[in-house]
Amino acid sequence: MRYLVAIISAFLAAVPIAAQSYKAPRTADGHPDLQGIWQVMNTAAVNLEDHIATLGMPAGLSVIVDPPDGKIPYTPAAREKQKENYKSRAKADPLNICYIPGVPRTMYLPFPIQFVQTPKFVLMASEFAHTLRRVFMDGTKHPEVSLFWIGDSRGRWDGETLVVDTANNLPDTWLDRSGNFHSDALHIVERITRTEPDILTYEATLDDPQVYTRPWTIRMLLYRHKEPNFKLLEYECNAYLEDAEKESQ
Amino acid sequence: MKNLKALNMLVVAATAAALMLFAPIPGSGQDKQKGGKGGKGKGGPPGAEQYGPYYAAPITPGQPVGRTPDGQPDMQGFWTPRFNQAIFEVQDHPKAQPGIGPGKGAIVDPADGRIPYKPEAAAKANELLAKQIYLEPEAHCYVSGVPHAAYQQFGYQIVQPAGYVLFLTEYAHTYRAIPTDGRPHISPNVKLFRGDSVGKWDGGTLVIDTTNQNGKTWFDMAGNFTTQAIHVVERITPVDTNNINYEAVVDDPTIYTQPWKIAGQLGRHPDQNMELMEFACVEGNQDLVHYTEGVGGKAKEKGPLTK
Repeated sequence: MRYLVAIISAFLAAVPIAAQSYKAPRTADGHPDLQGIWQVMNTAAVNLEDHIATLGMPAGLSVIVDPPDGKIPYTPAAREKQKENYKSRAKADPLNICYIPGVPRTMYLPFPIQFVQTPKFVLMASEFAHTLRRVFMDGTKHPEVSLFWIGDSRGRWDGETLVVDTANNLPDTWLDRSGNFHSDALHIVERITRTEPDILTYEATLDDPQVYTRPWTIRMLLYRHKEPNFKLLEYECNAYLEDAEKESQ
Repeated sequence: MKNLKALNMLVVAATAAALMLFAPIPGSGQDKQKGGKGGKGKGGPPGAEQYGPYYAAPITPGQPVGRTPDGQPDMQGFWTPRFNQAIFEVQDHPKAQPGIGPGKGAIVDPADGRIPYKPEAAAKANELLAKQIYLEPEAHCYVSGVPHAAYQQFGYQIVQPAGYVLFLTEYAHTYRAIPTDGRPHISPNVKLFRGDSVGKWDGGTLVIDTTNQNGKTWFDMAGNFTTQAIHVVERITPVDTNNINYEAVVDDPTIYTQPWKIAGQLGRHPDQNMELMEFACVEGNQDLVHYTEGVGGKAKEKGPLTK
């Protein structure tokens, strides 16, 4: 059975995301131009796995494309931990106390995210708590010390696709509101492709042998904001948290 | 307090690399600099006495300013601010005050270097100064407003994609993304910590007009507050590849008797290959300890890292 799963996974991984006929316009230095303001239209921020609605939280289908069952391949102990996280999520979700969301969570929050490209890095600026993510494109390696809330991201171009390798992740971030989590051994490879003029196809493979039995992959679309003069505003999470605390006294 | 806060948070975030910003840059000549007594920068990095509490690049003449592919004067790169001790107090403050040493601010008009407050606004600023260790917005990890963002400690990186100028600040990982495509301001009903900024190039000068600020930010640590009526026009002029002149006119008829102006310079950081590091603020904020009494006493329950 395990062997069969491996074969199916290998097959799925080999299938291209879409017939890649679209070629993105190029930046001045000749790379696909992914710039603009983007946002998902899904409920991955609620739960990456299949989920029914709960109060204030819409239902949604799993964004996990591998394994084929759409579930995170936790070790049994890790699944128990996730269930505990779920129960205590109101207090335990790091986003509820306004911590930096981490990778990949920052990519599918219900907040716009602006991509800016320079020859040295691709910048992803989220409206959520002014979270900044830089993907260095100059062939440099992850630093040997230091863990970061937003991890350390180094990228390269694979044809039309931006491939981002992220390590040095602090273990304190979650993957969604439902307590899905990782350890500091988390290693992420994202593949971001402008598959249509106004769509980015986003894929991330997460590997963390301390928590998962095998690597697993999510896939979703980011849509371009086309409203005239659209711009990032701000969500100064910790300031609103303080206001709420003062009001509740 | 700012030094203490910075150090505490850097330990949580990116100690080794971020500390490089404090270190003198070899060959920069920082060790030769001498000057008057700084504010709280006493005991800070070399050069603090002259330019302020944090590292500022030495003044070095550069080459003529180039152009970006879309024709903007090119200011891209890492810059360090020189605004005296404005980060502690934006106006001249020759006498020591609670928690803030004596120093020079960045106000060039009026000539006395002081904010032209109306009497009741001056009284309010004094009141806030007395409680600044609890109330200073940055101690609460609030994002700074405009023009405070221009003299933020640790400097920033300027990036100029087509149609924008971005300022990426290391302190509290904030940014300003300023469109230069001629769009109008957003609705006046929406107030923001950073306000709404629109930019345009006036010859070799970037002019940034900022409205829509929410009145919750200060200019410094010293109680110099803002209201929602604040209007700021910044003029940013690259002089050569190593030097930028900065000035900002601040107007708010509700609290000032006249508009006033700050001025400073930005110096290109000698290391243009550096990477700005993560500066987590909320996540490791030890200043929470200070304001448990100040704003409700709930900080202790905030989360695992504040135990």
